[in-house]
Amino acid sequence: MIKYWILIPVLLILFSSFSTAQTLTDDQLQVRVKEVAKTLRCAVCQSESVWESNAELAIQMRDIIRERLVQGQSPDEIRAYFVSRYGDFILLQPRTFVGMNWLLWGGPFLLLILGGTFLFRTLRKWVAQTAPPPPEDLSPLDERSRKRVEQALRSFESDK
Amino acid sequence: MAETKSPSVGIRSWQVVLLAVIFGLIVLFYKGLWGNPSYIPPVLVGTAAPEITAPDLYQPKEVSLSQFRGKVVVLNFWASWCQECKLEHQNLLAVQKHFAQNPNFVMLGVNYQDKEDLARQYLQEHGNNFNHIRDAKGRISIDYGVYGVPETFVIDQNGVIRHKLIGPIMGDNYTFLIEQMVEPLLNGTATAS
Repeated sequence: MIKYWILIPVLLILFSSFSTAQTLTDDQLQVRVKEVAKTLRCAVCQSESVWESNAELAIQMRDIIRERLVQGQSPDEIRAYFVSRYGDFILLQPRTFVGMNWLLWGGPFLLLILGGTFLFRTLRKWVAQTAPPPPEDLSPLDERSRKRVEQALRSFESDK
Repeated sequence: MAETKSPSVGIRSWQVVLLAVIFGLIVLFYKGLWGNPSYIPPVLVGTAAPEITAPDLYQPKEVSLSQFRGKVVVLNFWASWCQECKLEHQNLLAVQKHFAQNPNFVMLGVNYQDKEDLARQYLQEHGNNFNHIRDAKGRISIDYGVYGVPETFVIDQNGVIRHKLIGPIMGDNYTFLIEQMVEPLLNGTATAS
């Protein structure tokens, strides 16, 4: 009979540790649900993610994410499911090279390259047009100007 | 006398390219100013309709979409709390009445995020002449990419979604549904999707 009394605290410790493990698993699952839900757009409150939105649809989508994670699906597989139902619209971050999305990602760089090339060529043209004339085209200094230059040079030397 | 190439020719071509790109962007931005920003383009049209197995609203039985294979199915998502659903309800009854004699036509209502008793009460008040199933957990709606009610899908005899109508079946939508979608499918004159 005493043996049973000894077993009770042992069982209690085992049960409490099992509960803790279960809670940890739920917390980890919640973190993973959040990771996926934050990347999906709520189709009702379209400026919010599925994680942030309180719309009924977002709540149901979170339930689906949770269920599919428990089933062992990867975040990419879950996202692919929602994309197959709602299109790329459902993704808060557009996919890189799908359809016209390349324009979205590559457009700024394309514009930068085009604009940079145009600017470079234009500036090069301007520099060529406003280059100093060759020495042979320079008219010789008259006596008055030469004296002024010499005077300026002397004052510069004395200031040093 | 040799022709001298104008140094500005190359730059002009770049100017043309840049102007074309900028013009294209302006057109894109301008296009973005119009239309409904909350409209989600349907992606399921032309694909196989997801299978449905759901409880009937009135009888203790399960209804599946596959049992209607070989028939044209009009699937209407609605709710008793939805104001626009009230606007279209009489038209839905008229659509069912219009094709009631055709054994190859099925109209199926999907009661979306609703209380069972309120849904039944709504149908009692507004009239009912077709079957309804319940989507209590919203699984069917999400499977069909529904993001609001009312939404209506037209599914052909091969189980392919041929069209999705967002908003109430009224006016042009009503005429389009009957004349451009259901009748051609039933007569075999519909163009392949």
